Amino acid sequence: MDKLIVSPSPHLHTKTSTKSLMRDVVIALMPAVIVSVLFYGWSELLVLSTSVASCLLVELFITKFLLKKPCTITDCSALVTGILLALNLPSTTPWWIVFIGSVVAIGVAKMTFGGLGQNIFNPALVGRVFLLISFPAQMTNWTRPEGFVGGNLDAMTGATPLGAVKEHLGTEGASLTGMTEYADMNYFDMLFYNIGGSAGEISALAILLGFAYLLFRGVIKPYITLSIILTVAVFSGIFWIADPSQYTDPLFNLLTGGLLLGAVFMATDYVTSPMSKTGGIIFGVGIGVITMLIRYFGAYPEGVSFAILIMNSVVPLLNKWFHTKKYGRA
Amino acid sequence: MTQTIIWTIAILTVLGTVLAVILYFVAEKFKVEEDPRIDEVEKVLPGANCGGCGQAGCRAFAQHCVESSPNLDSCFCPVGGNEGMQKVAAVLGVEVAAKEPQVAVVRCNGTCENRPRVNEYGGYQSCRVKAALYSGDTGCSFGCLGCGDCVAACQFGAISMDPATGLPVVDEEKCTACGACVKACPKAIIELRNKGRRNMRVFVSCVNKDKGGVARKACKAACIGCGKCAKVCPFDAITVENNLAYIDFTKCKLCKKCVAECPTGAIHAVNFPVVKPKPEAAAVQSAPASPVEAKASVVISSEVEKSVN
Amino acid sequence: MMKTFSIGGIHPNDSKISKDCKIEVLPVPSKVFISVAQHLGAPATPIVKAGDQVKVGQVIAEPAGFISAYVHSSVSGTVKSVGPRKDLAGNNMTHIEIDVEGDEWVEGVDLTDTLVTAIPEDNKAILEKIKLCGVVGLGGATFPAHVKLCPPPGKKADCLILNGAECEPYLTSDYRIMLERSKEIVVGAAIMKQVLGGCPAVIGIEENKPEAIKAMTAAVAELQKSAKGYDGISVMTLKKKYPQGGEKQLIDAVMDRQVKSMGLPIDVGAVVQNVATSLAVYEAVQKNIPLITNVMTITGDCLPMEKQHNYKFRIGMPLSYIAEYAGGIPEAAAKVISGGPMMGKAIANMDATTVKGSSSLLYLTAEQTVRGEESPCIRCGRCAEACPMGLEPFLLQKYARNNMMDELEDNAVQDCIECGCCLYSCPANIPLLDIIRIAKGDVIRIIRTRK
Repeated sequence: MDKLIVSPSPHLHTKTSTKSLMRDVVIALMPAVIVSVLFYGWSELLVLSTSVASCLLVELFITKFLLKKPCTITDCSALVTGILLALNLPSTTPWWIVFIGSVVAIGVAKMTFGGLGQNIFNPALVGRVFLLISFPAQMTNWTRPEGFVGGNLDAMTGATPLGAVKEHLGTEGASLTGMTEYADMNYFDMLFYNIGGSAGEISALAILLGFAYLLFRGVIKPYITLSIILTVAVFSGIFWIADPSQYTDPLFNLLTGGLLLGAVFMATDYVTSPMSKTGGIIFGVGIGVITMLIRYFGAYPEGVSFAILIMNSVVPLLNKWFHTKKYGRA
Repeated sequence: MTQTIIWTIAILTVLGTVLAVILYFVAEKFKVEEDPRIDEVEKVLPGANCGGCGQAGCRAFAQHCVESSPNLDSCFCPVGGNEGMQKVAAVLGVEVAAKEPQVAVVRCNGTCENRPRVNEYGGYQSCRVKAALYSGDTGCSFGCLGCGDCVAACQFGAISMDPATGLPVVDEEKCTACGACVKACPKAIIELRNKGRRNMRVFVSCVNKDKGGVARKACKAACIGCGKCAKVCPFDAITVENNLAYIDFTKCKLCKKCVAECPTGAIHAVNFPVVKPKPEAAAVQSAPASPVEAKASVVISSEVEKSVN
Repeated sequence: MMKTFSIGGIHPNDSKISKDCKIEVLPVPSKVFISVAQHLGAPATPIVKAGDQVKVGQVIAEPAGFISAYVHSSVSGTVKSVGPRKDLAGNNMTHIEIDVEGDEWVEGVDLTDTLVTAIPEDNKAILEKIKLCGVVGLGGATFPAHVKLCPPPGKKADCLILNGAECEPYLTSDYRIMLERSKEIVVGAAIMKQVLGGCPAVIGIEENKPEAIKAMTAAVAELQKSAKGYDGISVMTLKKKYPQGGEKQLIDAVMDRQVKSMGLPIDVGAVVQNVATSLAVYEAVQKNIPLITNVMTITGDCLPMEKQHNYKFRIGMPLSYIAEYAGGIPEAAAKVISGGPMMGKAIANMDATTVKGSSSLLYLTAEQTVRGEESPCIRCGRCAEACPMGLEPFLLQKYARNNMMDELEDNAVQDCIECGCCLYSCPANIPLLDIIRIAKGDVIRIIRTRK
């Protein structure tokens, strides 16, 4: 070594990098991806590849030709957005809708704010919600194409469990106890592979597996996810006990829809979640309450995406109000 | 239906009137009396908010001008220059004396070639951070650190780093002599000097206070404090202190005798018309310039021309 | 439950490669350069001039203020010059150059190995001796020891904490002296404890040094049995976590008390001294030996085992001489550090000389030490989680880059202890500490001028 390096301390650095964190998230998403591909087949594979490819391309295009800055797709964050967006869409979504979603997610929700680390809202969710509002028919087409692995899904080809319940309760004088489909629903199926809805929501267990991996690798802290789950359980529990004929039970609410996917992968997004623990818990509680308000009283059967986006907008405030506990300043 | 419209209009009208009354009284109560001339002065200022005048910004400077009027000696806006100050004086209806225009001068010629790197800096690219850590990646502990804090400080885009030399270059056309770079440089290398007759200037391009041998070892273009320039100067413009020569720009008459005398080429003469070697040797008169030195000074003037262009 | 500090902290690999290398004595070179700035505070004023004859242990520079310290000659010989020389950061500092002739010590110094356990009764005399022998804190800050041992009026020490945490990776000098000079350290602790008015003394050692814990516990037990004045000294095992050896963190870990912002340890009744300082106090008070030697570690992953050393050096030895003696700078070394890898200084000038606080020559390879390219902050909050002062470095660096001094002060930038946890843990390689360190200096200056 001819010239010594001189730099300010510290002289050692952690091996963890933005890239390795994103890679861990991708690995954690793998169980959900695999299960969804197995059960939704080629069409899901198409949605996934379109979403990932277009997210990467849009970011490449923007950084290279519009901003003329060094390309940032190597940090893998666009890859994560791409996978998450795909998992948040029905497997039947046409490729061009997926592409529009990617453009909105990366182009509008991420790059206009200044790229990675600057966005206020979760890009994948913005993409998803944009599509949900723009293409309501395609976005709620839950018909199930043939997968690589069979499954007893006859009961759920028409609607998601949440959608079925909402529709049923919409008719006057209806009650859950009289709803045969609801009574038929099998929590065991839901846990493993049988939740109808967006591709990534199919298996609660696959998502929980990813959650365990993220916790094990220290990528995320559990409190945001747990506070969402707990809030949903408590909130729906109170209503369910008060009137089981009008309100669905807690377990149903936890296992159906995008709740787990949102709580594990979307709400814990570093950029759009609060920095402090207290802030994170309030953030989680907020998501849980808003989700349940939308599910019970709103027009949409599902509200996790909206809940997370609404709470995203509160994050700067939470960061301003809640700080870490400082040494010697009790 | 009609009733709704009427009610809406009525309520909004009442609400508007009440709020307007409240606003009026609040505005009256919290009214701030301000000299209207401050606004007028601010209008004629460049609006760069650079702080070069020593005030917090253009408005603060305008206030300062109004307060110190009619004597504007303590007020000078380097960006607007004499012209700008004449405008300010006109607004205030007073007289102001013209000041000599100045320009930022980088007093280090430690190019990669003159001053070889002896270690590699691996921290945040900021001169302040680097200076707080150590003497720098060359043997010279006084010279330019090359991280470009001055470039970042300049609001007029007048300073840029020359990748070939690793030193900042001042664009004399754009430089307003606001002094931001002078404050930003942790090594106090940049100095505001009078622009001089036809922009011609002579200055010592070095701030190394080490003993001659040490300084020379670190950098080929260092001032070694030999004092030859001070001896040859007919106007007593040069002082040598702590092994370092300094040319007082108020006394220098641009005769360039010192330039020829300097054994290390640390004294730079800029913006002089490019002369052929022969007449220059004549100008030097008593001290016969060696070919190397003559060449050095020509190189310098051509270099400077490049930077001016 | 093992104790540790309550906020933040990181767990770098401790890499104590040289822990089994016994302390060896470095031979004296033919020439030494002794710096007059070997302590925190004003540089000492030289009192010798070129041509003077000096002996080992003779005072060659006097303190230039309340917070300053005596500097002694580490060799005997002739003063060759007194003048500027580049220190390890490459800046000029006055050094006293001495040509070595023989090894003649000043009178009254006890160079035998006998352990002196009887502690003198006169506290004033003890403090004077500590001051005259130029003892400074050897934990890193080199704060004059006697100043710390005289609490300001109205304040009383409740506990003397001996810092044996050695939480910096790689360093093993404290570990070695705890093994080889355990009794001397305990005597030093007893002396300081007596000066402080008989408060209890706790020797805090991290769990990754079980042998040091055993040795120190045994030394305490033996001295308590055989001599007077050793009651109230105990050894405490601490959980391994960086920066346990930070003064404020150690107080939190041992006493469950937290020093207020901009406050001093004595405000909460704590006095913290390093174990090496304790040894220096012992030598000064019991043996009359001034602080001219210390132990340093020569280590690094790129050094073969036989080139790992723990050396007892004398101040003023050129680092290049020591590196050469230890077998040269390894090819793979990209950075040489004086001190630990978290808070030590990268050496710009190998011709610089050892000072009282020198603790290592640590060789790091480019792979280990070169920072990755800076990328945008992803707000993962790892820096805030790691900060042992509970600060939010991501926020501070943003404020600092925009010169927002009021916000910096409100967010306690002045509390930063520069431990490096934030920069260590940042996945985006943002130069957090580089920027915060400068901002901290600015804010402290603003606070001082306001007062």
